[in-house]
Amino acid sequence: MVRFKHRYLLCEVVSDDPRCRLSLEDRVLGGLVRDTIARVHGTFGAAACSIGFAVRYLNAYTGIVLLRCRKEFYRLVWSALPFITYLENKGHRYPCFLNTLHVGGTIRTCQKFLIQYNRRQLLILLQNCTDEGEREAIQKSVTRSCLPEEESAGEELSDSGGEEAAEAME
Amino acid sequence: MPAPAATYERIVYRNPSEHHYMKVHLEFQDHGIGLNAAQFKQLLISALKDLFGEVDAALPLDILTYEEKTLSAILRICSSGLVKLWSSLTLLGSYKGKKCAFRVIQVSPFLLALSGNSRELVLN
Repeated sequence: MVRFKHRYLLCEVVSDDPRCRLSLEDRVLGGLVRDTIARVHGTFGAAACSIGFAVRYLNAYTGIVLLRCRKEFYRLVWSALPFITYLENKGHRYPCFLNTLHVGGTIRTCQKFLIQYNRRQLLILLQNCTDEGEREAIQKSVTRSCLPEEESAGEELSDSGGEEAAEAME
Repeated sequence: MPAPAATYERIVYRNPSEHHYMKVHLEFQDHGIGLNAAQFKQLLISALKDLFGEVDAALPLDILTYEEKTLSAILRICSSGLVKLWSSLTLLGSYKGKKCAFRVIQVSPFLLALSGNSRELVLN
């Protein structure tokens, strides 16, 4: 049928500085991605990608970002993401980079991928854990995530267990 | 007696040339403006960078010949970049504030074709 098809790019903001993730805002990030596309792909790229462009989901604790773009130009957006080297907020510049985890056609597929990815990340965090208190918190999150899907789906996306562990690790 | 079977070999070139050659001429609104070869190439690259960004400004573009008096040149570009180069030449409007335009005289995938142009034939 006739509809506009989109591609959803699931990315992770990786940075040395712990304050970088907390200062993530959707408008700031959207503007940064648009400027980078204009620099890398010129006027044509900026115009082509900005029609269907939006920042759909942003999690400041884990640094997960979901970007939406039109299907015909998602490669232009995807190839411009490695050129983002810093995040600027209120005059502070934090060096960071965007790691693309998944490209999906709908938000639902990206959500499914994110749930599996977070489960795997929890197990990795459990292995690298140093503190006893953190270990218990992560073990609780892991057992909760193994429960049947309807109960844990809401919790996975809010990712409370991962947040505590991630903040404590940093 | 049956003739011996002849063996044939068929070679098909789908796109024989990986480069395209363009003969272009730069025209200014005012006369008396000169550019040397380096400035001309800088102008081409900045036209590509404006429209298509840094990625396409790095396309392998060569100026094979350049005449400073007539401001005409023969350019070589890889075939995948021909459309981008031609469209950015079309949309180039000015050089250092002075209005100019690129006239594309001939485009061909073979350099030999640029040596003779039937449009420039003068018939008496």
